[in-house]
Amino acid sequence: MDNFIGKRTRSKEGPRHVTGRGLYTDDFRLPGMLHAMILRSPHAHARIVSVDPGEALKNPNVVAVVTPQDIKQTTKPFKPGRYAAGLKRSIDEYAGATEKVRYVGEPFGAVAARDRGTAEDALEQIQVEYEPLRPVVDVREAMKPSSAVLFDELGTNLAWNGSLSYGDVEGAFKSADRVVKENLKIHRYSSTPLEPFIVIASYDAASKRLTVWVTAQVPEVIYDGLREALGLQDIRVIIPDVGGGFGQKIHLIRKYVVLVSLLSMKSGRPVKWVEDRSEHMMAGGHACAQEFEAEMAVKNDGTVIGLRFKEYDDVGGSISTLTIHFTNKLNNLSNTYRVRNIALEGFAVVTNKCPVIPNRGIGKPGMCYVWERMMDRVAQELNLTPIEVRRKNLIQPDEMPYATPSGNVYDSGDYPGLLQGLLEKIEYDKLREEQRREREKGRLIGIGVVIAVEPGGRNAARDMAIFPEMKEPPGSGGVNGAKIKLEKNGTLSLHLGSPNCGQAHETTTAQVAADLLGTTPDKISTSIPFDSDLSPWGVAAANSGNNFHLYDIGAIHGAATRLREKVLKLAAHNLQVDPSELTIEDGVVKVPGSATKQITFAELGRIAYNNQHLIPDDLEAGLEATYYYTFPHAKPNLVPGAERLVRAQFTFSAGAHAAIVEVDKNTGAVHVLRYLIVGDNGTVINPDVVNGQVFGSAAHGIAVALGEGFIYSPEGQPLTVTYLDYGKCSAAETPRVEVMHRPSPSPWTALGQKAAGEGAAIPSPAALASAVEDALTPFGVKVCDLPLTPEAVWRLANHNPESERRSY
Amino acid sequence: MIPAAFEYYAPRSLDEAVTFLAAHRDDVKILSGGQSLMPLLKMRLSKPAHIVDIGRIPDLDTITEEDGHLILGGLITYAQIENSDLLQKYCPLLPQTATNVADVQVRNRGTIGGSIAHADPAGDMPATIMALDAEIKAVGPNGERWVKAEDFFLGLLMSVLEPDEIVTAVKVPITGNDKTGYLKAAPRSSGFAVVGVAVRLALDPSNTCQRAAIGITGITDKAFRAQHAERLLTGKKLDAKLIDQAAAESTRNIDVIEDINGSTEYRTHLTHVYVARAIQAALQS
Repeated sequence: MDNFIGKRTRSKEGPRHVTGRGLYTDDFRLPGMLHAMILRSPHAHARIVSVDPGEALKNPNVVAVVTPQDIKQTTKPFKPGRYAAGLKRSIDEYAGATEKVRYVGEPFGAVAARDRGTAEDALEQIQVEYEPLRPVVDVREAMKPSSAVLFDELGTNLAWNGSLSYGDVEGAFKSADRVVKENLKIHRYSSTPLEPFIVIASYDAASKRLTVWVTAQVPEVIYDGLREALGLQDIRVIIPDVGGGFGQKIHLIRKYVVLVSLLSMKSGRPVKWVEDRSEHMMAGGHACAQEFEAEMAVKNDGTVIGLRFKEYDDVGGSISTLTIHFTNKLNNLSNTYRVRNIALEGFAVVTNKCPVIPNRGIGKPGMCYVWERMMDRVAQELNLTPIEVRRKNLIQPDEMPYATPSGNVYDSGDYPGLLQGLLEKIEYDKLREEQRREREKGRLIGIGVVIAVEPGGRNAARDMAIFPEMKEPPGSGGVNGAKIKLEKNGTLSLHLGSPNCGQAHETTTAQVAADLLGTTPDKISTSIPFDSDLSPWGVAAANSGNNFHLYDIGAIHGAATRLREKVLKLAAHNLQVDPSELTIEDGVVKVPGSATKQITFAELGRIAYNNQHLIPDDLEAGLEATYYYTFPHAKPNLVPGAERLVRAQFTFSAGAHAAIVEVDKNTGAVHVLRYLIVGDNGTVINPDVVNGQVFGSAAHGIAVALGEGFIYSPEGQPLTVTYLDYGKCSAAETPRVEVMHRPSPSPWTALGQKAAGEGAAIPSPAALASAVEDALTPFGVKVCDLPLTPEAVWRLANHNPESERRSY
Repeated sequence: MIPAAFEYYAPRSLDEAVTFLAAHRDDVKILSGGQSLMPLLKMRLSKPAHIVDIGRIPDLDTITEEDGHLILGGLITYAQIENSDLLQKYCPLLPQTATNVADVQVRNRGTIGGSIAHADPAGDMPATIMALDAEIKAVGPNGERWVKAEDFFLGLLMSVLEPDEIVTAVKVPITGNDKTGYLKAAPRSSGFAVVGVAVRLALDPSNTCQRAAIGITGITDKAFRAQHAERLLTGKKLDAKLIDQAAAESTRNIDVIEDINGSTEYRTHLTHVYVARAIQAALQS
């Protein structure tokens, strides 16, 4: 059965992508198609006094304009989602601003013309009068009563505040030998996919049917968003090849789909909109800047007995993702540690910056940063080694499955084994010796070792933990479908509920289906694009890297198993044997050892769709199966109760990371000499695919730590709207990432598989911080804030307290 | 990312180009390699009514030797500089610099004439032509003139060039046994200089520095020569201490900028580090 699962296979989508033959949304051209541009705010904070498109509309090639008035009059606000449920007063969020703009780049209108250049001209001709307001840029300033307020309805910029406590936190801090405190900071960044947002909308007024092609990750968000905003019933969402998602394409993109659809409805023509790089950098969504005030209660032997922290989230100029970075802390709240008493308090502060969105890890890198920085700090204060302190507190393999204090249940894992495997691989003791020798010669080498869980498989009820007043969950667990069909020629086609954003869905699902059905991946094609008319819903997986393993593989596994039963039944009937006597090999169903008792998939296909006489009476004709998967071990804590216990995610991958860096004291430049990961992603279905996820996520986390990020001026103007300024590592700066697998398969998933998507992006910022701090040991300084730009490191290395040269 | 509408003109001769430029001098831009102009046009930060593409003018893409000098046509690309045997042999500072410019795609298209005319304060070439005491040939309606590199740059994207003048050539010396080097600090391998330092040193057989030229880019509104540092080095044997002293003088009287890549304080310090390292690199060249 395991002919393909666990092996490298020829990539199904790779050749198409590397030869430029992928079909992305921008590759589609419809007859009579217009081209759109989005009207955006140049101000961080302003009231829209008037919008006059008269001049633009004088050009006969300008066909339609959408103004804030149109948005207000012809659309409805989106239904508040699960991240805005904590608002004391609900705030209407439309597809575009209607009265006030709250960040540079906020959309509040759109224009469609016969060609893109004319649309860009028209945008400049729309006369907008603004009344600029005082920008709110700094989180601490924003919380002061003297600050300007973004949402008058709230009367404050502290849009949400709440807390959670598990175990006896007070008691733990009272009985501690010592309390270790630190303030930590992680900055704004994003994954900046190479393909920005793209939408084509085509509205047929006669049938009242709207079709959209969009580079989105979650079809449901687009589908629901269009229904809510436009009141349409007949909606078709098509998602072709996607040039990178990382969470960027889940949420904010729905606004643009509505605006472009409005243009199509107004003009009666298909309309395409392709976002510019700079638009995406200023308004496409950022990961949240998070500040932590953390305290750890510890015993003198290094045992951690309690953790509590306050978290200040700079959520930007929208309330729709208010608590997303805070509630995601519940996913890895315990990290890999056996600490039973944990309390957290969140402050979600709106500012005149780009709204935050889910981005590779969503708040989990922050949670891991708190744990791993604090573990190093504990080691320093107790004069223990950072390895000892971690070892002392790790959850042990014989404790699996392990229930965390907040209600997560870790399915499997050997954390001490991962750590030990890593230390052996890097020859830790020898490395420390080498570091001492090099330090004597004046070289600043640093070694950072961290460990982290990578939670996988969403539970939509998680957010209720912070909103006890909610009467019913906005959703819970996750449901995800897959369809599989044996074609008349004996090949198989798969329809997935989630679009392929470059994670090799086609390759991996074909491997699983091939093994279950006794055929080969080259006989299986996975349908791309996703098409809501044809595909099953993939509400849970919906293309987020840490859901595919559970929900899509679960659904494929279920559908293929179901189809196998049908195939065997039909074959058994025709071979006049019992199904239990049959095996399937290479697309042939046979009685082992018999030369005559065999029938091919192609023969079965012809029977199933053509020949009623040969189909048993108790078998449905056709050879097709659909399966909607839910996680069978989702209880207890599927929905939070009075104790606020909730299973935030369902499977737990893990990884131990080592970063070995050299710091140039004179310039502050950090050079990553080696980067190693010993990972547990459960059963690895395809090593190339999983390694690809690990490489990509590590590269991103390392770049985040070393300086990529968004910077705003004190006036709220974004200063990093091109790749030139944003600071992403290029191939030249990205270190080689060495990966070793040490899987502990999940006992609860069909193949033992666990997540591999956010992966290395979660612990790598902490690993770099740890390594840089270690390199700077001779200067006795602490690394608390990211990013570690050359200037920041230079200031640390040179005892320069002015590390905050920018107030923003 | 579509430029505002403009008239495109692709003259086949220098005369034709200059005549057109003179006629539209109030609202015209010259397109050479396009690596700076095209992004400006596409972002609509520049909206000229006329574009003169000088890429089809003959004879601007040669490197020739003339009376102890080398003359580079204005259309010579960074890639051609990088790969020129003549330059490697007679003026290695130019290839040493060109190899540090942006990435391969930019180097294949970007031209030396374009780089100089654009006068980007973080461009690499301005520092180098200053260190080489190069001369720049500008051709306009009143004929041609040669401008010394040190007189050429006026400030942020500003030079002595008139809107109807074209940089047709750059004259650099054959640097013979001089020691040269270019070092650059950039956020990424393909980024603009946070600081870039071009060094040319003439040493006598006893290793005494007879002449020092240090061009610096990226830290103020234009590339400049670090004259205080040069003076300190001249006439002396170069050791680490002297080099560090000179480096510390390299920013004297310079108004060092600050931006997202570095504060004034950091950039000043980084310049000192890079001047010292560039001198060391040159000595080892």
